[in-house]
Amino acid sequence: MATVIASGEEDRILRTWTPIILRAILLASSLVMAVGIAQSLAFAPGFYVRRFHAVQHGQLHVRNGLAQLIDEMRKGDPHGTMTIGLFLLTLVPLVRVAFTFFLFLKERDFVYVTATAYVLAALAVGVLLGRVG
Amino acid sequence: MLTILAGLFALSIGAGFVGALSGLGGGVFIVPGLVILAHVPMHIAVGASLISVVATSAGASVAFVRDGWTNLRVAIILECATVTGAVTGAYMAGLISQPALELLFALMMLQSAWFAMKSQGDDLLPQSDPLCARLRLGGQMPDDDGTMQPYGVRNLPGGASLMVIAGVLSGLLGIGAGAVKVTAMDYLMKLPLKVSSATSNFMIGVTAGAGALVFLSRGDVAATIAAPVALGVTAGAMIGGRVLPRVNTNALRRLFVVILVLIAIEMGWRAWSRI
Repeated sequence: MATVIASGEEDRILRTWTPIILRAILLASSLVMAVGIAQSLAFAPGFYVRRFHAVQHGQLHVRNGLAQLIDEMRKGDPHGTMTIGLFLLTLVPLVRVAFTFFLFLKERDFVYVTATAYVLAALAVGVLLGRVG
Repeated sequence: MLTILAGLFALSIGAGFVGALSGLGGGVFIVPGLVILAHVPMHIAVGASLISVVATSAGASVAFVRDGWTNLRVAIILECATVTGAVTGAYMAGLISQPALELLFALMMLQSAWFAMKSQGDDLLPQSDPLCARLRLGGQMPDDDGTMQPYGVRNLPGGASLMVIAGVLSGLLGIGAGAVKVTAMDYLMKLPLKVSSATSNFMIGVTAGAGALVFLSRGDVAATIAAPVALGVTAGAMIGGRVLPRVNTNALRRLFVVILVLIAIEMGWRAWSRI
């Protein structure tokens, strides 16, 4: 019986907080991307067009670190701002899974702690594979 | 710059809108749109599409989670399989030639067309099998009167195996692979169709997110393209979601099947002529 109660409570918390997490990060990332696009339009339209054509010709391969991107964003570089917005967007699933992990850990539901930990580890492996690939 | 931005927004809003109306998601339409119309290399289109799929999944799954249609436990367990596949697929995408990816995409579009055409039943499984019962995967869904109806789940290993394939396809091709995910849950695990669709929608964000992280870390996401596409697809999906209750979806479904087959032929022909 105790398991059923715990399971129902977990479910209620997940159904309340998951939509809030999803919406908040989606909104924040959309705002940052919109600011980046507006910056491009206002201050560097030629730069945007050159980058677009370079991408079309497969000549653009940018692999900046997060610190460098934040620095670019602080300096008002539209590319840095847009890329930070994209990184923020990828946080949506990451934060949602991390939230679930801590919830199940609190409830000591170790099957689901293991499942969410595996997903988080796989996401981290994805970042590492991208770095070496 | 305005012309390029207007083109990208028009393309992505259209893809998000059609993706929401057809129930197939924006990725199936945005990748060929970027490759055929915007002349963007396939791997850049896939990277941009994966990012936009994360955004549309986050937006679309909110109501389903809140209203109790999404089976969160099934999603969490099956995400282990889809994420494994997605990371593998996204890594492989960096090693496979563009024509081969385009040919695979064309085949995937034909599978989506078949999925959109097939008839779908909605019988409830009364009891879960022992493994699914042990993991408490069964759930409840509201019927027409709002009364909660319990349903069971079965064949987790079979569903998880197909989810690995869905993940690989998502990472390789930049799509949500919702058609494969719903097939796994509906046919193999006997989840009710609406629960399968809602749970698939929820899982797509994590699957695409895993692939997007590989592409972003590899430097294969062009912000100049991915940012307007993500915003456009999200806006298109929101408009599509509002229009959906007021349109004849059966007639639209037939139209989308024709469009999917035509795009598949175009993509397949482009790929074949360069192999």
